[in-house]
Amino acid sequence: MYFSDHDAPRRLSFRLSRHLLSGVSLFLLISMTAAAAEQSVSFVNQVMPVLTKAGCNVGVCHAKAGGGQKGFQLSLLGFEPQEDFESLTKDGRSRRLFAGAPERSLLLLKGSGQVPHGGGVRLPVNSEGFALLRNWIQQGATFDVATVPKLVSFDVEPSRGTIQRGAEQQLKAIAKYSDGSIRDVTNMALYEANDKAMADVSERGLVKISDIVGNVAVMVRYQSRVSVYSASVPLGAPVENLPSSKNFVDELVFANLKSLGIPPSTLSDDATFLRRVTLDIGGRLPTDEEATAFLASKDEGRRDKVIDNLLQSPDYADFFANKWTALLKNRRDEPSDTTANFAFHAWVRDSFLANKPYDQFVREVLAATGTVIGNPPVAWYKRVKEPKEQIEDVAQLFLGVRMQCAQCHHHPFERWSQDDYYSLVAFFSQVGRKPSGTRGEDLIFHKRGIATATNIKSGVPLKPAALGDAIPEIAADADPRLKLADWMGGKTNPFFAKSLVNRYWKHFFVRGLIEPEDDIRDTNPPTNPALLEALEKHFIASGFDLKELVRVLTQSRAYQLSEVPNQHNIVDRQNYSRYYPRRLQAEVLLDAIDRLAGTQTDFANLPPGTRAVALPDNSYNASSQFLRVFGRPEAESVCECERVQSSSLAQSLHLLNAAELKAKLAAPTGRAERLAKEDKPAEAKVRELYLAAFSREPRPQELKTAIDYLNEPGTAANANYQDLIWALINTKEFLFNH
Amino acid sequence: MMTDIVRYFRWMLLVALACGIESPSFAQSVGLPAPRLLTTTPMGAKVGSQVEVTISGEHIDDADELTFSDRRITAARKLNAAGQPESNKYVVTISADCPAGIHEARVMTRLGISSSRAFCVGTLDEAVQSKANTTLATAMELKVNSICNATMTQRAVDHYVFEAKKGQRIIVDCATRGIDSKLDAVVIVADAAGRDLLVERRGGVLDFTVPADGKYVIKVHELTFKGGQAYYYRLAVSELPVGAPIVRMPSTKPVNSFSWPPQGLKEQAELAEAEPNNDRTKAQKISLPCDIAGSFFPAADVDVFEFEAKKGDVWWIEVASERFGLPTDPSILVQHVARTGDVEKATDVAEFSDIPSPVKVSSNGYAYDGPPYNAGSADILGKLEIKEDGLHRLQLSDLFGGTRNDPKNVYRLVIRKSAPDFAVVAWAMHMELRNGDRNAVSKPLALRGGATMALEVVAIRRDGFDGDIDLAMEGLPEGVTASGLKIPAGQSRGLMLVTADQNAPRAIGSATFFARSTMNGEAAIRHGHMASHAWPIPDSWGEIPAPRLFADIPVSVSGLEFAPLSLTPPKEVQTVIAGEKLTIPLLHARRSEFSGGTLQLKTMGAGFDRTPQFDVSLTADQSQAVLDTAALKTPPGDYLIAFYGGAVAKYRHRPDLIAIAEVAHKKATEELSAIDAELKKLTEAAKAAATEAKPEADKAVEAATAKQKTAAATVAAAAERVKATTAAAQPNDIVDIVVSEPIKIRVNAPAK
Repeated sequence: MYFSDHDAPRRLSFRLSRHLLSGVSLFLLISMTAAAAEQSVSFVNQVMPVLTKAGCNVGVCHAKAGGGQKGFQLSLLGFEPQEDFESLTKDGRSRRLFAGAPERSLLLLKGSGQVPHGGGVRLPVNSEGFALLRNWIQQGATFDVATVPKLVSFDVEPSRGTIQRGAEQQLKAIAKYSDGSIRDVTNMALYEANDKAMADVSERGLVKISDIVGNVAVMVRYQSRVSVYSASVPLGAPVENLPSSKNFVDELVFANLKSLGIPPSTLSDDATFLRRVTLDIGGRLPTDEEATAFLASKDEGRRDKVIDNLLQSPDYADFFANKWTALLKNRRDEPSDTTANFAFHAWVRDSFLANKPYDQFVREVLAATGTVIGNPPVAWYKRVKEPKEQIEDVAQLFLGVRMQCAQCHHHPFERWSQDDYYSLVAFFSQVGRKPSGTRGEDLIFHKRGIATATNIKSGVPLKPAALGDAIPEIAADADPRLKLADWMGGKTNPFFAKSLVNRYWKHFFVRGLIEPEDDIRDTNPPTNPALLEALEKHFIASGFDLKELVRVLTQSRAYQLSEVPNQHNIVDRQNYSRYYPRRLQAEVLLDAIDRLAGTQTDFANLPPGTRAVALPDNSYNASSQFLRVFGRPEAESVCECERVQSSSLAQSLHLLNAAELKAKLAAPTGRAERLAKEDKPAEAKVRELYLAAFSREPRPQELKTAIDYLNEPGTAANANYQDLIWALINTKEFLFNH
Repeated sequence: MMTDIVRYFRWMLLVALACGIESPSFAQSVGLPAPRLLTTTPMGAKVGSQVEVTISGEHIDDADELTFSDRRITAARKLNAAGQPESNKYVVTISADCPAGIHEARVMTRLGISSSRAFCVGTLDEAVQSKANTTLATAMELKVNSICNATMTQRAVDHYVFEAKKGQRIIVDCATRGIDSKLDAVVIVADAAGRDLLVERRGGVLDFTVPADGKYVIKVHELTFKGGQAYYYRLAVSELPVGAPIVRMPSTKPVNSFSWPPQGLKEQAELAEAEPNNDRTKAQKISLPCDIAGSFFPAADVDVFEFEAKKGDVWWIEVASERFGLPTDPSILVQHVARTGDVEKATDVAEFSDIPSPVKVSSNGYAYDGPPYNAGSADILGKLEIKEDGLHRLQLSDLFGGTRNDPKNVYRLVIRKSAPDFAVVAWAMHMELRNGDRNAVSKPLALRGGATMALEVVAIRRDGFDGDIDLAMEGLPEGVTASGLKIPAGQSRGLMLVTADQNAPRAIGSATFFARSTMNGEAAIRHGHMASHAWPIPDSWGEIPAPRLFADIPVSVSGLEFAPLSLTPPKEVQTVIAGEKLTIPLLHARRSEFSGGTLQLKTMGAGFDRTPQFDVSLTADQSQAVLDTAALKTPPGDYLIAFYGGAVAKYRHRPDLIAIAEVAHKKATEELSAIDAELKKLTEAAKAAATEAKPEADKAVEAATAKQKTAAATVAAAAERVKATTAAAQPNDIVDIVVSEPIKIRVNAPAK
């Protein structure tokens, strides 16, 4: 027994006063008096969980923004019980509950499908939930009085464990209340695995593990609380002959592989490594000279030297500026945006070239003031105008926290409330704007005043607070954004460094330690927590040195593993026991094709020879079908997911026979034409092509096939070379970084 | 909403153009031809040197003289091998005593003096980009301690290469906007392979410590890869000892710098800010009055000063920083501080930020909604009234300095007792003529005979100065007069009318512009500045204006071309009794045909500028204006006013050349006829010549035939010239501002 009924008379009195003028109230009173002998049902602790479990208050049903469904509005996942109570008992002219015959209440008739219900049968007549709601109505449909115990903690048991592939684990959900009582709410809790391919969870908390190995988490939610079950699913294969560890990344990746029993692939060969790392750091293929020199080198430290060389090159700055400017929404909507976009892109690019510490980079964006030309990060404020949008972007991009939900309601998967949301908004409440000489561009400055933002629901003005961390009083003269930047750059900040290292880990290892990379929360744990923590510490200790981070990641043996699976690790998709191949992104692929074809893509008003990865903004997508088809983002979102990396038929057709590609192959100054005219052995020419495309020598069979084709009679030499280049472009080896 | 309307209008305009809809306004151009010097190549030279300069511009084909604002720079036309002047080429001599810096270059043309172009005089060796250097392979060699004058190619990156030794400190500076160029430069120092090492994109310098002996590359390009004649630059590469302060290449002054410094301010501040003074516990103690030099450094720097003041004290606070041409926005907070033990109570007394523009500044939209000059500033000028005895704290910060670490962002803070004063700046008045075209804002003071040109004058008043400000000019050429429509007490805008008499001879004068007032019972004269835009702006939608101050004010009269229309009122003072109407006759001296029958006139001049618009005939020889002092509630007093409006003249370009061309054509035709006749004669003679005389006769025929050919070509050329001059002289609709000569008015008090 968790709830006593000692306060029933008080509730009745309360009820009487509320419904005194209603003719219905007398009837209710009589009914409730009769029911008083029964156990009193708590609206918050019992009714709400039933509605939540039944899915009534999800975003697509009655918690849909703007009125719910058919005029019946509930708060999302029941975060606002008081509002839901009002909605149930008063809205719709109080027609949803019928105390005289509780089972005839519209709420139950609809929920049980006895009358047509768009959401189908959610509460069968013989279900516990149906009975509980009926009892609550019968008891007078009251809200909880103050003495009703409150939920104080919620745990899932077990919280972690090792589980074999194909095995099952029953979870138990335990709620603890303010009166010390404990309740098993396994059947009323909600369950969701972070990787549904790895684990399937039943409504009653039974976890079924698939045959995929690794780590999986199951989020368990009850009322406003969440808890997580983390499972480790080992393969159990012998892990021997690990490569020697280069740095802590290897130690932690290999330790994880050992614990899971997943033997890693061997190290990649030099050619594969060179191509991979040049694509990942410089966003380009290695040059023929680089490939030749590297393959001939006997220097033990040649891989580290290539990494350092790439990090010093402007290619690194161009490639990462391309990544970041899309996330920072450097988007051209009007021709008058051109100068601002070029300036902002250039500023980002120069920051990476100079290896500006990441915390300083972010500070300069967050707290930008002045004009775009004088201080290009001001351009961010041109694109992201409203404080709410600003904090949502800042939180997602720089902290890996998605705050959007908390604008209107408590975050469904997180601890963030609307107060947290508006406390964050307060940091941007003193951003002043003055018109500049350029249309659509404002001068940005700090407007003196005490920073506050009002919680739209409670109406309470809130001072700046950073995701649960109190910030010392900010004087009217101080720019709160600088204080936010101070907080972010603090050595103990739990989000800032973690978010970045996870983002960069994904850049180099294809899959983030946390996925999606910008959704860091307790309920979405990393696949290798120790590794994430070590990377975070290393990044902070290095002074937020981005090049050092890239160096640590790419120097690791884990990064340099072959993409070829062994007999065991083919099932691994998240433990980095091998390199996961990835299709070249749109810009890189276009540049790579140009490199192989010996051509240039002409971009409007840019110098001939400008690479696609060096484009300043999205405007070039409009004129390049190639960039659109291969998913170059339009810089509308802070999410990397805006870049489409999936494959499509259009992509295949484009590579097979697009006029653009044909023109490149047949360019009079292109490689095919040159090779056709050049007086050197066909073998040398084929070797050149393989080196350009794959950074490796052709294998004997490849060489023979190519030469046989080139020697086929009846076709012009240049056409044969065009065909050969076309064939190389259409290989997976070319299209993928592997 | 406004933007939508403008967009709609532009769209309609495009549709109209696309559909071939004819409208008189679409055929119009804006502004009568005015000479504008747009480029000099090179853009500067070394002190004590002689250099060949090539010029380009608008309406300067007939230029015959290149002049400079400093007489120590002289120019002569470059002569070709035949001793004839080469068009647009001059040999410029910079004397050894010419000061380094920026000087104004102009040409004298048939229409008068041209607009100015900045010409730099420096102390380093100079080079000129002689051929395309847009690749690493074609990089131009540049010596350390030299300047290269170059023009940017569109969609390209210019490459230079220099040699340096390890440890050398190399400064790379690139002058662009500060020398009237349209270039927003990106300057990059790269290694010999062209791999970028250091980049500067905000107009700063590159301070490069050479890592190893060898060659290094400098790349220059426009931020958005624009190029062309208007995108020129001077690239300086120099060595500087480690620790020595960097001195930037000289730059023109922004318009708002006219209001700095206050009269009599010492060149050096008496006091320097002493860091750390960033918070109340480290406030720097000062006493008033004070004059402090400081810097907004490091990032988010706040300089805190404390001083004692007494209730009722009035101080004036002025800060200069943005007016130095810096990208700053100073802000001040003054608080009264009461301390009880360790407890402190700070009460806001005053906040200071911008100096507002005295007149509405253009929003740079399509329609003209104010002058594209900001006489205001992000600096500070304000009054501090002390409300309580005791300690006061002043916090000075840069609203743009939150994340910026640049010690070059300096300021000067002056707190003084009231020292009423003013400063004035003038620019050519513009009005809505045709959307988007801002022709007048880059016009030189090159007057046609009978023309009146209006200058808009704006004053910044200092420390509560509230008196009338009279405006005047001196040093005008013969036949030119200037009349100032004063800035009335408490107001900030006046006008200056510069009128050339119809018979004014062709001349040029170096004028001075000044403003007079009375302060503390004494006459005060302040020299005014002149501002203009560096480039014509035919489409304000597509171009952000770039105005600056000019070092001098040359005024010229063409003597050869005349205003299409002069509106001349009586010379004598027009009197009226307050409350009655005044009728002013206007004589129209019309020297051109006009499009449309009427000219809509507005009135300028304090006391009468609210007069409703009225029409005058463009075909009549006279008209009259009626001013209703009752409606205007004009108080008794003396006034100076004028009328102005936009008229579309059917401008004919040099019709005089047709007659000259016709005469030349006639002469050439006659010469050809004579040669034809002679040839005929010689041909016949040759036919009849005896055998021994035959070769000689044939020779004569041959010579005459060649002569005939040349003469025929001359005739053809002369005919072409007649055709061209006739075509050029065809009437062309040009809308321009017509301003009447000034009118003196006396409003007498009604008899009691």
